[in-house]
Amino acid sequence: MSNNLSHLDALENNSIFIIREAYSQFRNVAILWSIGKDSTTLLWLVRKAFFGQIPFPVLHIDTTYKFPEIYDFREKYAKEWGLNLLVTKNEEALAAGMGPDKSKFQCCNDLKTVALKQAIAKYKFNALYLGIRRDEHGIRAKERVFSPRDEDFEWDYKNQPPELWDQYKTKATEEEHLRVHPLLGWREIDIWEYTKRENIPVNDLYYAKDGKRYRSIGCHTCCGPIDSNAGTVDEIITELANTDISERSGRAQDKEDDYMMQKLRSLGYM
Amino acid sequence: MAENRNIIVGLDGVPFGMIKDFTESGVMPNTSKLLNDSVLTPMYSTVPEISSVAWSSIITGANPAEHGIFGFIDLHPNSYKMRFPNFNDLRAATFWENCEGPSVIVNVPSTYPVRSMNGVHVSGFVSIDYEKSVYPESLVSTLKGLEYRLDVDSMLAHKSMDVFLDDLDRTVDARISSIQTFWDQCKWQNFMFVFTGTDRLMHFLWDAYDDKGHKYHRKFLEYFSKIDAAIGRIIDLSENSDSVILLSDHGFEKLDHDVFVSKILAEEGFLHFNPSEESSLQNIGPKTKAFALDPARIYLNRKDKYPCGSVEEKDANEILNQLEELFSSLEIDGRKVIKHIFKKEDVYEGPYFKDAPDLVLIGDTGFNLKATTAGKSRFGKGIFTGKHTYHDAFLAVKSKNRNISFDKQPSVIDAGKLIRSLTK
Ligand SMILES: [Zn+2]
Repeated sequence: MSNNLSHLDALENNSIFIIREAYSQFRNVAILWSIGKDSTTLLWLVRKAFFGQIPFPVLHIDTTYKFPEIYDFREKYAKEWGLNLLVTKNEEALAAGMGPDKSKFQCCNDLKTVALKQAIAKYKFNALYLGIRRDEHGIRAKERVFSPRDEDFEWDYKNQPPELWDQYKTKATEEEHLRVHPLLGWREIDIWEYTKRENIPVNDLYYAKDGKRYRSIGCHTCCGPIDSNAGTVDEIITELANTDISERSGRAQDKEDDYMMQKLRSLGYM
Repeated sequence: MAENRNIIVGLDGVPFGMIKDFTESGVMPNTSKLLNDSVLTPMYSTVPEISSVAWSSIITGANPAEHGIFGFIDLHPNSYKMRFPNFNDLRAATFWENCEGPSVIVNVPSTYPVRSMNGVHVSGFVSIDYEKSVYPESLVSTLKGLEYRLDVDSMLAHKSMDVFLDDLDRTVDARISSIQTFWDQCKWQNFMFVFTGTDRLMHFLWDAYDDKGHKYHRKFLEYFSKIDAAIGRIIDLSENSDSVILLSDHGFEKLDHDVFVSKILAEEGFLHFNPSEESSLQNIGPKTKAFALDPARIYLNRKDKYPCGSVEEKDANEILNQLEELFSSLEIDGRKVIKHIFKKEDVYEGPYFKDAPDLVLIGDTGFNLKATTAGKSRFGKGIFTGKHTYHDAFLAVKSKNRNISFDKQPSVIDAGKLIRSLTK
């Protein structure tokens, strides 16, 4: 166990370093909280980094298609942790009837991506913390810890001379923002081991009910549960140690197909 | 080393008439100079006349029944479930894979995802994941540094034409910088790049080409001038001994009416959907005799081929005759709607003949055929003002080493064979 602890300590230290560094450079920042296990772990780390009081807003993009358990969880911990919670929706798209029955790609795009863009424009954030992990998805394998939109800087963030930050700042236009990924190096199992160690609250959706549980939670229309009997954090850790199926593997091809359809539709096909 | 180099420039969708017009009227002066030293001819596209099929023939020299690509959309075997064929489904080797020398290949449609090759390959429409669109992978950061974009966002045109045009410009600018970079930095024997924004521009703004008073008429011409300048730079940098091929994959013309082929099939009793379910291919009913895939590929619902198949081999010809009769007599406002009805055996030849559509319809002037099952009536009109044509793509060839002449109008398959023989 001691090996494991030091591994988690190293991950925690790195993440906290990144979180503080980005805040000291950017100030007008926010953390994106989807209420899932990764972004809740990130939120936990941010609270630690700032000794319990987060000095910036916590942004929740509400597609209105979330599980009820997600809303309950959000309300409970926003209050308990004293969060400055900003909930934002793409009201226009929702009013126009956008929903997953149209096209999942279009739905995700309008209700998540566009809503996020609207929030960035409204609050003028210049950096955003996101809880994405490298092992989560094939497309994320190439992500960087600091990922300026539309650029591809590869750098050693630990030995980062301040000039590079400044250079980025002076280059940033109004539409640009930096995405900061403090959890990039974490694996799914690390999240659960850390959750266990820190006793981070877990949404019930992750625990098996009638032989099924959710490995990742988003909109109830887009993610299906997996077969599982894991009803506790310990059982989830055991389960993960014995499987190597990526948590979103089934969704990757669907996503590519959806994107394809979208591109073809825009040219009048289908 | 400078001998036997080949430069192939694609202008997606540009019709013969337009290249004549722009080179004669001064919109494309550099291209005009190039054409002075070239043989220029109108050219047939593939059947159907769409980019995925036509470019696949151009890069392989193969008939669709040899390369296996019949459209952007196809069905999983023994099913009505849609799938999207990509470069992995191409069953014939490309000219660059048949050539020992190095090649640079940029933005050729239907070449995603890229695979290893001798040279550089950046795939074209529909490319999804940046990392899977660039070979070798080490060039990803170079391209991102050039702000290279895989594709213009055509969705924008549905929202704001100005924003779309701006996106189109930025995409082509970055495309041109990447071509310049590869030209300067790579060793190559074959250099091929395709401009695809031309097709997008013509889909949305053909009316701006036709109408000199149109708000975007100047913009339309400027876009072609920009491409002409890029062609000019490449020609200036090329050696006199280089062969140069300039070509399009299909032509274009004004769109007057959309024609919903599936709606017609349904109204005429050839296509049935399960009641109480939405009208999509997934819900095809067992009485269905024929259905369509984009743009107007018609498949008999054969018993041995599809889960709800109803057509026996012995009845196939009879149904095909009925379909021919239906579509050849189709009219709107006294105008004939269908120009050609190609039977499978007329146009396809090769090992994938069995996967080919039974009939392919080509619309008459102004009629844009669509297979979508969402059409509410037989005819309609959306935001598109231009449509593809079959008969008037173009091909221009400049070659010092080869006598080029065409005794009859070539097709894109012939162009592919020519490219293959030049690049060998
Ligand atoms: Zn097109």
